[in-house]
Amino acid sequence: MLTRRSAVAGLSATGLPLFAPALRAQTFTRQINLIVPFAPGGTSDILARLIGPRLSQALGQPVVVDNRPSASGNVGADFVARQAGDGHTLLIADAGTLASVPALFKRLSFNVKTDLVPVGMVSFSPYLVAINPQVPATSFAELAAYDKANPGKLNVATSGVGAVNHLTAMVVGKHFGLNWSAVPYRGGAAAVRGVVSGESNVIFNGAIATLPFVTQGQLKGIAVSGDKRLEALPNLPSFKELNTPVQDAGSWQGVYASKGTPAPVVARLNQELNKVLAEADVAAKIRELGSDVRPGTPASFASWMDKAMVEWGEVVKAENISLDG
Amino acid sequence: MDLIANLATGFGVALTPANLAFCFLGVLIGTLVGVLPGIAPITTIAILLPFTFTLPPASAMIMLSGIFYGAQYGGSTTAILVNLPGESSSIVTCLDGHQMAKQGRAGPALAIAAIASFFAGTIATIIIAVASVPLSALALKFTAAEYFSLMVLGLTGSIALAHGSAVKAVAMVLLGLLLGLVGIDVNTGLPRMTLGIGELGDGIGFVAIAIGLFGISELMIALSRPQDRTLLSVALSQLWPSRKELKDCLPAMLRGTAIGSVLGVLPGGGAALSSFASYAVEKKTSATPERFGRGAIEGVAGPEAANNAGAQTSFIPLLTLGIPGNAIMALMVGALMIQGIQPGPQVMTAQPQLFWGVIASMWLGNLMLVILNLPLVGLWVSLLRVPYRILFPAIALFCCIGTYSISNSQMDIGLMLLFALVGVFFVKVGAEPAPFILGFILGPLMEENFRRAMNLSRGDPMVFVERPISAALLVLTALLLVVLILPAVRAKREEVFQE
Repeated sequence: MLTRRSAVAGLSATGLPLFAPALRAQTFTRQINLIVPFAPGGTSDILARLIGPRLSQALGQPVVVDNRPSASGNVGADFVARQAGDGHTLLIADAGTLASVPALFKRLSFNVKTDLVPVGMVSFSPYLVAINPQVPATSFAELAAYDKANPGKLNVATSGVGAVNHLTAMVVGKHFGLNWSAVPYRGGAAAVRGVVSGESNVIFNGAIATLPFVTQGQLKGIAVSGDKRLEALPNLPSFKELNTPVQDAGSWQGVYASKGTPAPVVARLNQELNKVLAEADVAAKIRELGSDVRPGTPASFASWMDKAMVEWGEVVKAENISLDG
Repeated sequence: MDLIANLATGFGVALTPANLAFCFLGVLIGTLVGVLPGIAPITTIAILLPFTFTLPPASAMIMLSGIFYGAQYGGSTTAILVNLPGESSSIVTCLDGHQMAKQGRAGPALAIAAIASFFAGTIATIIIAVASVPLSALALKFTAAEYFSLMVLGLTGSIALAHGSAVKAVAMVLLGLLLGLVGIDVNTGLPRMTLGIGELGDGIGFVAIAIGLFGISELMIALSRPQDRTLLSVALSQLWPSRKELKDCLPAMLRGTAIGSVLGVLPGGGAALSSFASYAVEKKTSATPERFGRGAIEGVAGPEAANNAGAQTSFIPLLTLGIPGNAIMALMVGALMIQGIQPGPQVMTAQPQLFWGVIASMWLGNLMLVILNLPLVGLWVSLLRVPYRILFPAIALFCCIGTYSISNSQMDIGLMLLFALVGVFFVKVGAEPAPFILGFILGPLMEENFRRAMNLSRGDPMVFVERPISAALLVLTALLLVVLILPAVRAKREEVFQE
């Protein structure tokens, strides 16, 4: 799955050598709008409201969080894509979703790769794979055996068609020979309810939101995405141990600027963002949300985006999903 | 006993001066936005959400929930005095409440609305405390098939209780259903009927439609009747209902509370559906159904009890499971998450202060609301006595701010204005907007659950009759349809609704 695209990654990262000494000169002259392409209360929104005030202090200008919600976040991303490239309009969004939309939408009004400039990764939160306790299985292998013995009984609840958790469930299911049906819900909370009630019986969902249901026995944990186990559920293997495809699937949050934002401005934003993420209470708050802080350079974020776009592009193609006909 | 200890914990939290103040602030704002038509509690909660970030979690939830149930009280004041539902759940209160006001009985109508609300609020608070655990288990028994059947029953019911011609009501339900389908289809992820407009991907905003249809269009209708000012200067000579009226209302309040408590727990239910259902039941069980629509006090008491009970019990799935049953509860989830609290079954055990504190505050809040609404009703009425030339532009402005603030979209303002015109058209052709709104809300849920049930059964439609709860709901629907179609009943129904 890991197609080497270092050449492309390198291209996106051009013009980002270390401008460190000149960074202070990159001043901001007016209010900075931090666009959240989802409704208030979601992960992106919480992070924006956590980071916004501190960025504001660092940059000397007010940072205003502006929610422009829509499905897949396209409306907000499109808005940022169209703003002047001066670093005064920023987007904070789910990077995996953003990487999957070019494959999902044939007629996307903006180009994820060229219209949005990666500033920096913020955090990662893994998926917890869980099942309804009535399904007699404790691992993917046992699930596959159950599926074989009871064809047409496994249903994986997703937070929506084409959502990253849907794509992950399909490609991981295929890897283990599972022939389950994807049942889309309106968002993650509804999907969890569907699995707790036994309406559906499998879910790939944000670890923090799913964990309480597992610890209370309403759901049974199977595995966790990413390269390490969850502290709270040390018995569940990670995707890396299981050697699944799309091992780093989960909720990746990142910050982007508009097309044409000069490299020194991006570098200054990245530096201040990473400083904010290094503050102990910010990291603690993000950990409370079930995420890990994942600071990085604009270049590493850009190459992550390129890799993710290829990976999800392949899954979307294999599953033949289109979200605009 | 655990319950006593839990409630003691709750009152310990709710009775701190700071939390009492937040509770009071919440119900005060709630009453205010409830009284003023066009400003929904959801708008208010959305606007205030960012401000709760700095409050302790319990205080934030106490204030936000106060806005929600406070609006149920305030909404009825406007419904009775101005015939404008301040609140979607008080649409039904307009029917008989305003008739009472026209007959000079505004005082008793307001009093019974507050009494019924307090009565239901008290009982609902106890219900939440006692039964939150088993009730959330009941809600979990509902799967796609049951929800589909419930929606079918709900929509059929909305036709049964519509004013005027049943054909028009069916047409309105279908129109609402069609418009409800605009947006991204959950089952395929494909946009439908969006005319290629990206903002319509999430569907036509409910707030835009509701404010257009019930806020702005009401203003326009009122302006087309220049002599309407009299409606605002209703005499409030006598406040208390007579002993006989109180006695007549008690069974209605009890039934309303029961209906609201049950419907509130179910996702998609809540305050509005509860009040409709209660009105239908009161009318059906009344010995003198012809009084309804002409100032029957039970027609105020039942729905008012039901909407308040429904508003409160809709907290059960939220507080026990972290699952929002409606849009307002979804905002509450957002409020919890801003606080870093992941809503879910652990809240009750991990955050007993929050859980029981909010529950205790509900009862205190209801008590405050009776005081706010009964002795001080004159104050709220004087708010409505502000001349139209001042009030109307102010309301229009609030409508615009509220609609815009939901998703910062200019398009929602356009939609709001469009639906204001549609609303005027509805009134002019004598079609009721209530079945339209229900079709708009329940239609997409019905479709979604139908297709999900079919997906889960791998295409076998028998699933709807094989599951007992679903089958029972469908049988109820069939009975309701038969009753509707029977010529004798139909004649009577039309006679009842003709004014």
